[in-house]
Amino acid sequence: MDFVSNWILTAIIFMPIVGAAYVWFGSGSRVSQVRSNAMIGSMLTLLLVICAAGMHSQGQGETVDGYGLYHTSGWMADGDNRIDVNYTLGIDGVSVWLLLLTGLLCPLAIWASFSSITNRAKEYYCLLLLLESGMLGVFCSLDLLLFYVFFEFTLIPLFFLIGTWGGQERARAATKFFLFTVAGSVLTFAGVLYLAFHQYSYGDTGVFSLNIPTLVRYGQSGLIPAGVQWWIFLGLVAGFAVKVPLFPVHTWLPLAHTEAPTAGSVLLAGVLLKLGTYGFIRLALPILPEGAEAFAHFMAVMAIAGVIYGALAAWVQEDVKKLVAYSSVSHMGFCVLGMFSLKMAGMTGSVMYMVNHGLSTAALFLVVGMIYERYHTRDMNKLGGLARQMPVMAVFLIIFTLSSIGLPGLNGFIGEMLVLIGTAASTETHDGLIAGPLGMAYAVPAATGIVLGAIYMLWMCRRILFGPVLEPPGTPDTSAGLPPDLSGREIGILAPIAVLCLVIGIWPKPMIDSMQPAIEEHILASRVMEKDINVAHADKAMKGQSVASNTAPASPQADSMEVESKPTEAQRFTGSQLVGSEVRHGS
Amino acid sequence: MDLSAYFPGFLPEFVMIIGACAVLLLGAPARAAVPGDMSKQTPGLLAIVVTLTSLFITLWLGHPAGGESCPPGLVATDLLYYVRVGGLGVGVLILLANLHLPVANERAEFFSMILFSLTGLLITAAANDLLVLFFAIELVSVPTYIIVALAREDKRASEASVKYFFLGAMSAAIMVYGFSFLYGALGGTTTLSGSGDSMAAVASATDTNNAIIIAGMLLSFAGIFFKLAAVPFHSYVADVYEGPASTVSGLLGFLPKFAGLIAGVKLLSVFAWDVPPQVLWVLWIVAAATMTVGNTIALLQRNVKRILAYSSVAHSGYMLIGLIVGPSLLAGAGPMRDGVSAMLFYMVLYGAMNLGAFAVLGALEKSGESVEDIADIEGLHQRHPGLALAMALCIFSLMGFPPTAGLLGKVYIFSSAFSVGSEHPFGGPLVVLAVIGVINSAIGAAYYLRIIAACYNREPKSETKIIGGAALRLAIVACSGLMLLLFIKPALLSRDAKSAAATVVAKDVHHTNVAVAAKNTASESSPTKTP
Repeated sequence: MDFVSNWILTAIIFMPIVGAAYVWFGSGSRVSQVRSNAMIGSMLTLLLVICAAGMHSQGQGETVDGYGLYHTSGWMADGDNRIDVNYTLGIDGVSVWLLLLTGLLCPLAIWASFSSITNRAKEYYCLLLLLESGMLGVFCSLDLLLFYVFFEFTLIPLFFLIGTWGGQERARAATKFFLFTVAGSVLTFAGVLYLAFHQYSYGDTGVFSLNIPTLVRYGQSGLIPAGVQWWIFLGLVAGFAVKVPLFPVHTWLPLAHTEAPTAGSVLLAGVLLKLGTYGFIRLALPILPEGAEAFAHFMAVMAIAGVIYGALAAWVQEDVKKLVAYSSVSHMGFCVLGMFSLKMAGMTGSVMYMVNHGLSTAALFLVVGMIYERYHTRDMNKLGGLARQMPVMAVFLIIFTLSSIGLPGLNGFIGEMLVLIGTAASTETHDGLIAGPLGMAYAVPAATGIVLGAIYMLWMCRRILFGPVLEPPGTPDTSAGLPPDLSGREIGILAPIAVLCLVIGIWPKPMIDSMQPAIEEHILASRVMEKDINVAHADKAMKGQSVASNTAPASPQADSMEVESKPTEAQRFTGSQLVGSEVRHGS
Repeated sequence: MDLSAYFPGFLPEFVMIIGACAVLLLGAPARAAVPGDMSKQTPGLLAIVVTLTSLFITLWLGHPAGGESCPPGLVATDLLYYVRVGGLGVGVLILLANLHLPVANERAEFFSMILFSLTGLLITAAANDLLVLFFAIELVSVPTYIIVALAREDKRASEASVKYFFLGAMSAAIMVYGFSFLYGALGGTTTLSGSGDSMAAVASATDTNNAIIIAGMLLSFAGIFFKLAAVPFHSYVADVYEGPASTVSGLLGFLPKFAGLIAGVKLLSVFAWDVPPQVLWVLWIVAAATMTVGNTIALLQRNVKRILAYSSVAHSGYMLIGLIVGPSLLAGAGPMRDGVSAMLFYMVLYGAMNLGAFAVLGALEKSGESVEDIADIEGLHQRHPGLALAMALCIFSLMGFPPTAGLLGKVYIFSSAFSVGSEHPFGGPLVVLAVIGVINSAIGAAYYLRIIAACYNREPKSETKIIGGAALRLAIVACSGLMLLLFIKPALLSRDAKSAAATVVAKDVHHTNVAVAAKNTASESSPTKTP
């Protein structure tokens, strides 16, 4: 069992590569054979991911620094114990959800490509699997160089996917996407190296380390002067902000989304954008607490600008896919806003938002792709009344639209609400964390984004689904063997996402409960008030005795979120309020 | 003089010299007898056998123990070992890639010139004397002028050769002029280091901040900049790289550059990197300008060979960063913290990836003409998927992208620049230089991406067919395979680069041990923040 828990993350990362090799070498020239092999590869990966999530929740395997299923083996260190740049993997309560999201969306994206991709299918499915491998790698990495390797590697398959199987302007879209991202991430690269050398020069380890837990510890020890933190923060943000994408650097996204094949859009919106926000919460916020606090206002303003700008831009689109793409810009703004509240509620909301946006936007892109395969247009002026032609599709589209708007009872609501609560209550301290930088002034304009979101999404539904039937001549095109309404395969693709939307919307507690201890330990530790730090330490000591149980009883802060929604329990935190003034860990 | 005393220590060099002469002689009778009809592959194969033999002897001898008896002016160090392994290793790939050249009957001369050039590289690394260093660099350069002319029967090749020769001769003159200043300023000895009256000993005992030394260093470096194709001596590269066959351009990006960088290491190590600040600033400006100008001009090119030529200018700039950073005082710090070993690692890596990219071009032919324009490689993936994959691996490596070793090369170079820290008198400017470097690698991505997009994302326009033989294909596979291998296991090369750099001594006063110095200051600088 130790062997399994030690290597399962490696297996998860390399399973898609093995699948790709099998697709390439083991599946003849028949497209049906190729795609079923690709499907098998990604389904096996999903199975492994689910196993890993199960093992993680039961606390199996080695836990180091609060990261479960820990594994490390030598890479660049080369026997030199003064260098810690290794192949180090591990997951916590945050990354496990993103792993599950990736593991789920990849087979669906592959399944969705069955009818649309016939040209050079072998390479197409290989690239999708390589992309999956890169994305899973990012969420498993505990070494910054490894993180960067996977982070950058994802660009290569997606560049080819957009550039080869994209629409009319695919070459420009692929190049723009690639260059924007590279331009940002080289600055991240510089920031990472500078950070590592700061740790090496001023930390007390004497080890040149790119190990994320080591750097987080160093960053939270307060040894990085504020001025240096600002520079490193700006460097890291440069790469992550492009990926998210944050407002002024988002221009690659609508183009890339419109030109990408459906599966590319699904994975781009569903997972790749989360690499940016994941970078924020895994690196920028915990390692550079002062930098994050100093730039929180700026980042929040940019995020809100993105929320409103994205929503307004989405409103005026005629192309459905572009509309969904701009809605992504708007939604990811919420995600960034929530994390910079630097509060438990906002951060939890942010992570929830990442997962929920991944589900609902991916599903919207899938539906748009299904419409496009039948009508060969995405222009809303040329489509109308499809509810009558495709009733099943209409049901799904409405579910995902409502989830995307944030209707209570569906998943989108949870994240959105937590983000807004966290932002509004950022200056409060009753959740046991020191006061955050944001406040009501940020929550109110952001909330207008919700209203705008409802307007443009429902407007889109109305124009496509209702009113008089409007179809381009010669459509629906059933020549490729597609029925007029959704086929069983397509329902099979959408149904799991719809079910998850409902389940998360109704019963988000297990998700929130599992991510909050990780958020508190790995992201917001430097913001916990002193009394609570002691509790957390005691907690950790207990964990140390019973080997590797990182699902240990949630510490008081873990419940803090509930306090925000249920003020009646506020008395549980009087202890921390008595401690009163903002005392920082390490002072 | 009894040469046999030097045999164990310098056997690889002897093998190379004897082999080069043998290959050259092989051509003479064959020509006299039946022009153009000698058994065609013999000189090339013999050259490969010679280089491989020398490489195996190197590996068999292992690292120099230090007690070898050395010929006057030479010294066997781990630096020499690294250059033997890296230079001869890439040399074998160069020979394999060029085995089908030249089409005319000067094969023996062609391959013997490559061997002489490789020999020159080894002697450059062994040189412990200013004059030997000069001759060794010229032994690298002079054969390359001939190689450029011989490689193909094309007016452009002859033009390139003449141009290269005249500029090269002038740069050699400037360099030797600079050497003469150093000779005068440092006690009238030509021995670089090691003995009590060597240049290094004199330099450490005197104030080096004087006009003669500054002039000497700058003139010497002007010659080195020419070998590196660094700004402002970069203008020849495009024409010279475009002229000969593509695989020869791959050679030109390796041998002169490697020799130039080693000469730079030798010169700077005389001063233990404690050169006058003016010299460092000139190097700084040249490095920054080289990266930026090379990348910017490359953006404007349509010809793939010219793109790669200007990108080679940019890569010289990256390697100059490592040269300026210099060795770390921490013995065997490894390329993460040691500029010289980062540079050495990058140089061999660059030699292989650049050769790989050029070799893919060299393996293609379009109705009898060589493939050079970016339009010619459009849709390469559909016509020749294997070649396209190799091209992609080499280009991604040049770009510094995972999963290729090029990323690690960039990590090493830039992290060594960050490693000098703010205590170092030149620390701040070096951090700025590294940031200029990473921004430049983003600019570089733009034109590299055009090559990849042409190969993969477009439909084939022109009818290309594969030329060259199994040897060329083997070289391409080896070059691109190395990129993956070194990514997974960088220690294969970095371990030797580490020990090589450890033989280049840094001076205490200048290269402060960052970690130690930092720890002393950490106590007062760190916990100043109170809630």
